[in-house]
Amino acid sequence: MNNTKNVAEKKSNTPILIIGVVLVVALLAGWYLLSSPKTATNTNGNTAKANAANTTKPNTIPANAPQGANPPNQQGSPTALVTLEEFADFQCPQCGAVHPIMNEIKSTYGSRIRFIFRNYPLAIPAHDKSYNAAVACEAAGMQSPNKFFEMQNLLFTNQKAWTADPNYRTTWKDYAQKIGLDVAKWENDMAGIAAKSRVDEDMRRAKGMGINSTPTLYINGVDVPFQQMNVTGLKALIDAELAKAAPQNQTAPAAPANTGNTNK
Amino acid sequence: MTEPEITSAKRTIAKLPLAAAVVALAGLADAVYLTAHHYNAEPVPCGAAFDCEMVLTSPFATLGGIINWFAAGTIAPGTAIGEIPLAAFGAAAYFVAFALATLTAFGDQRMWKLFGAQVVLMAAFSGWLIYVQAALIGAFCQFCLISAAITGTLFTIFVISLFIKPKTT
Repeated sequence: MNNTKNVAEKKSNTPILIIGVVLVVALLAGWYLLSSPKTATNTNGNTAKANAANTTKPNTIPANAPQGANPPNQQGSPTALVTLEEFADFQCPQCGAVHPIMNEIKSTYGSRIRFIFRNYPLAIPAHDKSYNAAVACEAAGMQSPNKFFEMQNLLFTNQKAWTADPNYRTTWKDYAQKIGLDVAKWENDMAGIAAKSRVDEDMRRAKGMGINSTPTLYINGVDVPFQQMNVTGLKALIDAELAKAAPQNQTAPAAPANTGNTNK
Repeated sequence: MTEPEITSAKRTIAKLPLAAAVVALAGLADAVYLTAHHYNAEPVPCGAAFDCEMVLTSPFATLGGIINWFAAGTIAPGTAIGEIPLAAFGAAAYFVAFALATLTAFGDQRMWKLFGAQVVLMAAFSGWLIYVQAALIGAFCQFCLISAAITGTLFTIFVISLFIKPKTT
């Protein structure tokens, strides 16, 4: 009976067979690649983040990392039990998206956290104004530490408006006036070395830590995955850190529902 | 094969899906490699002109990251589906493209239309991913560019097939 097998039927089975074989080979290849991790070297020298993901061990700040601009641009309490350190780029859309989340976290926790903002303008053509934006904030901060964050807030909030604006300098000048800066001094400081060197210090820290993307956030020195950079995710991490740091004194820091009214 | 009077144009058409299948296989290999890289978190070998890790660890490397990008400001917590790397979808897409091209090569012409529809979508998405690398991440990874080139080739093969009409008498 085998000899009488229909030729057409035989033909129609061939592509299915080939497709099946390819599927099996692809799955096996994927399985092989997954199960035999090599200790490959990265030309960028940054294996820490990748390896951390592999072992689900959080990436932490290396002990010998450069310290960054000192004093850092910070809010909250310098003696708080939980420190958030964010590295961001003013032209990075994700940093713009994370900004209101950070604002909410800061207003929720107030002095229970220390928030440090680090400039990490990426040296890429698409982020052509990023470095200057960081300098603009540092120049604002030279008039008052709070002015740094007021300028930072305006730059992130209006990111889309100025990033494509050829007259962005004029727009920034408007922001400077809006937040009550001495505009002449601010412009002078922007051109000076002090503001730039603070940005450079932050960048040195970021590079020394092997950071290769923004926003990068550390909570008490532990890298936070981007997927967790939302209000719920961050609150969970901060509450856990608060509970860990003061298990006896603050019995219920994880329930900020009743504390929200006291902040403003 | 059963028709003795097959024209040269018909033969060319039969070869195009075959070529597409072979090209799709290369895309499948590339995407499987990147998918495995994502899950075992091994850095990929990267040329000096590229920054593969920056691209492959960016939010745009996962489905969830892309959804977040389009729904700006409403970043959802990481979910199982959100963590799926884009490369895995690429692997699935190349496999389907391979299957459709193979079925066409063996005579099922209806599959070529599906192949065309899929390849047009893939090419559009690849174009957007190149934009993401250039404008939003500011770095390229060569495996991503290889994938884009493969999709471009599949698209070109399909377009060529539209211009080669069989000489039917």
